[in-house]
Parts: sequence; C-alpha cells; structure tokens
Amino acid sequence: MIRISGLHKRYRGAPTDGWVLRDVSLEIPASSRIALIGRNGAGKSTLLRLIGGTDTPNRGEVVRRCRVSWPLGLSGGFQGSLSGRQNAKFVCRIHGAQAGLDDKLAFIEDFAELGAAFDAPVKTYSSGMRSRLAFALSIAFEFDMYLVDELTAVGDAAFNVKSRQAFQDLAGRAGLVMVSHSESTLRSYCESAVWLHEGSAYRFDSVDDAIQAYKKSMTR
Amino acid sequence: MVCPSMPSNVVRSRFSVALSVWRALFLREANARLATERGAWLWLLLEPAIHIGFLMLLFGVVRHVLIPGMASSLFILVGILGFFLVRNVAGRGAEAIKANAALFAYRQVRPVDAVLVRAALEGLLYGLVFVVLLAACGLAGVDVWPRDPLQVLLAAALLWLLGVGLALSLATLGTLVPELGRIVSLFFAPLYFISAVMYPIASVPRPARDWLLLNPILHGLEAMRGGFFPAYRGHAYASLSYLLAWSLGSVLFGLALQRRFATRLVAQ
Repeated sequence: MIRISGLHKRYRGAPTDGWVLRDVSLEIPASSRIALIGRNGAGKSTLLRLIGGTDTPNRGEVVRRCRVSWPLGLSGGFQGSLSGRQNAKFVCRIHGAQAGLDDKLAFIEDFAELGAAFDAPVKTYSSGMRSRLAFALSIAFEFDMYLVDELTAVGDAAFNVKSRQAFQDLAGRAGLVMVSHSESTLRSYCESAVWLHEGSAYRFDSVDDAIQAYKKSMTR
Repeated sequence: MVCPSMPSNVVRSRFSVALSVWRALFLREANARLATERGAWLWLLLEPAIHIGFLMLLFGVVRHVLIPGMASSLFILVGILGFFLVRNVAGRGAEAIKANAALFAYRQVRPVDAVLVRAALEGLLYGLVFVVLLAACGLAGVDVWPRDPLQVLLAAALLWLLGVGLALSLATLGTLVPELGRIVSLFFAPLYFISAVMYPIASVPRPARDWLLLNPILHGLEAMRGGFFPAYRGHAYASLSYLLAWSLGSVLFGLALQRRFATRLVAQ
C-alpha cells in the first residue's frame, strides 16, 4: 500500500508557475496495476520518481507500506567505470541480498546473456547491452510494487520474447505503476489508470476511459 | 525462469538498510580505489614515502636540522602522514557525491552515505600506510614505539574527524556552487606550510606562532609527535580540545548542510 497525500513538485529553473504536480493525492493498494497516462512533460516520470523515493516533493508526502522497487527503466543507475558484475553486486547488496548474492548474480548473468562483457566496464556497453543488464537487474528482485518507466521488451528478437515472458510473470505476481506511450502495453498489463493533466491527477477505473479522456484533451 | 527469492522480511528497518548501503558502498569504493588503477597499492605507499624521503634529504643532508627531543625521520613521517590524512579524507570525500551520482537512482543511497563511506575507507587506508611506514622506519633502526599510544591514536582520530567534517561541507558546497569548491581547494595548498609539517612550532618566534596556533591541524600533528616522544617540546603548545572543537564543529556544520540540501544534491 502506498499513500500519496498533498504532493507538490516543481523544479528549480523551470518556467514561471512551474508546478509539475499540484496537490496530488492517491492511494495505491499493493496489488493494483495502474497506468500513468499524460502528454510529454505532464509529470509521469516525476510522479514515478517521487513514489520510488529517488526525488523528494516540495510539499506533501509519500508513505510506502510495502517493498517498492526503484523506477525501472532501461538507462538504469549504473556506475560507468565498474563492470556489469560489480554494478549488479552493488544493487544486490543495497537491497539486502548479501546471503543469496551468488544465486542472484548467476541469475542476472544468465538472463542478460552478456557473455564476457559482464566483466567489462559498463561505459563500454552498447545501449542494447545496457538495457539487457538493466532489464535483468529489474526482474531479479521480488518487490510488492514495481515502478516501471518504459521498460517492457528489449533487445533482439530472441531476447525480446524472453523479456516479454519474464515481464508477464512479474506483472502477474505483484502490483505495477507503469508509464508507457504504447497503449496496447498499458491495456494488456494495467487494470486502472491515472491521467495526469495540468498538474492534477484523475483516477479512472478502466484504462480505456483514461486514454479517451487523454485523447479528448489533446484534440481540444 | 524463476529468480531466487529475496529475504522474507517485508519492509526492512532503516538501520538495516543503512548498514547494507554502507557495506555495498564500502566494497564498491575499495574496489574503485585499489583495483581499477594499475599498482594503486604501490602508489598509496609511495606517495607519502617519496615525500618523506625528499624532506629527510633536505633536512639531514642540506640543512642538518636537529629536532629537539625527537628523531627527525619520525618527526617528518608523523607530520606528513597526519597532514595527508586530513587532506585526502577531505579532498577525496568532497568528490564522493559527484563520483557516485549515478547510484542515487536507488533511494536507499543518500549523498551523505557516499561521503562518510569514502572518508572511512581513506582513513583506514592511511592507518595501514602509517603502520607500514612506521615498521619500515623501525627496521631502519629508528625507535618508533610511541610512549603514549593513546594520545597518538586520539590525535589521529580527531584529525580524521576534521577531514570528515571538511569533506561533508566541501561536498555540499562544491556540488551546489562549483566555483566555491575551486576557491576552497586553492586554500588547501598553503595549509601545508602553516600546519607545522616540516618545522616544530616551538621554533617559530612569538607573534607568528600565535597566528599559526589558530590552525587546528597543527595542534593534531604536534600532539601526535608528543605522543611518540614526551620530551618533544611542541607538545606543550598543542591542545587536543581545540582540535576537538574544530572537528566536532565542522562535522556538525557538514551534516547540517547535507541535511538541508539533501534534495538538491540528489537532483543533478
């Protein structure tokens, strides 16, 4: 369960009256699967980062009563000078997986299929390799709630099938808050939606209704 | 494909999160410090050792200076390692936030953790370097056994603490106002000359000595030397409580800055 109350957020140096989010209050039960919909710059990723705790609101608070993931995206939080393995170790350790570290690493190495590059510095990776590692890390941990920022299928055809399957497993066993520009992705994984518009959040019980409202606002 | 399961506890306590973050950061930092650069271990020892050798040459051969009540090699060794301890903890700690910026993508990792862990690692490494170089001096026939080991340890700990406080403050200021960081690092070079690294404070005449005694690092160095040789006269001028006040003050100031600007340090 995540409770968001009276959330305000603006960024320094933003244009006048730059409230990205204005008085947003939401309650997200641990098992719900929610799509975040809105135009570019509406604050979808901002809201996701605030829920994930990597950014702090100017006013209001976020209370997390379950295990919440970091915002899973394909760029990932990697230290470029360290190898993929060392980065993976770091993420395992901060998530308290010291005891099962070897199992976790074996899983990540196996899933990412980077071969020898797993021990090369991340800054030498291509964007595809980077996203494979990010994806493998993302699904290696069990959370009650996953925050997903445009993370679905990655890589070439073979990896694409595997990652889609893994993501479906993940979505089946836990809650989701998801940002994506692909309507079909949102429809297939989410059962309700939040539409972000001009700093406010509107809750919809179905994804279709939210997409409709979003499209209406675009045409006007 | 099934992933191995996580520990069963649902939400970890803040303390256990902090512990695992420190552990992870420490191993990461140690790896970056000692394994990425070629011969990093060697440089760690060689930098102060060469410095010490050079100064000993200058003192012994060129000027024939005798430090009253103390072997001059030990005098220089303590001065340089003590000063380098503060300089490295402060300097490397101040860069910790920039070096770890990518890792703040995980909410468990706070900027203050990065600075504290790096300062701890640097302190530990300098402790090892100190022991190794002391042992080397001992093998060369110098009496390196401190008469008052507790005072040496206390003075070194306070110097380290001063370095931590400086690191915390500089890391925040340097990230928020990059120009300020550059100006502060300019002030670090002359500190070497006013910290009694290569002269005993007792040899400085009166009005200048009073001014130099405002520098807390000098108090730490002279107290450390006094811990090795009670007959060393510089000890009389050194006040550990003065150093303690500076150390605690700078740590509190640094922590306050980190707390106040935590949000802006993460958002890059």
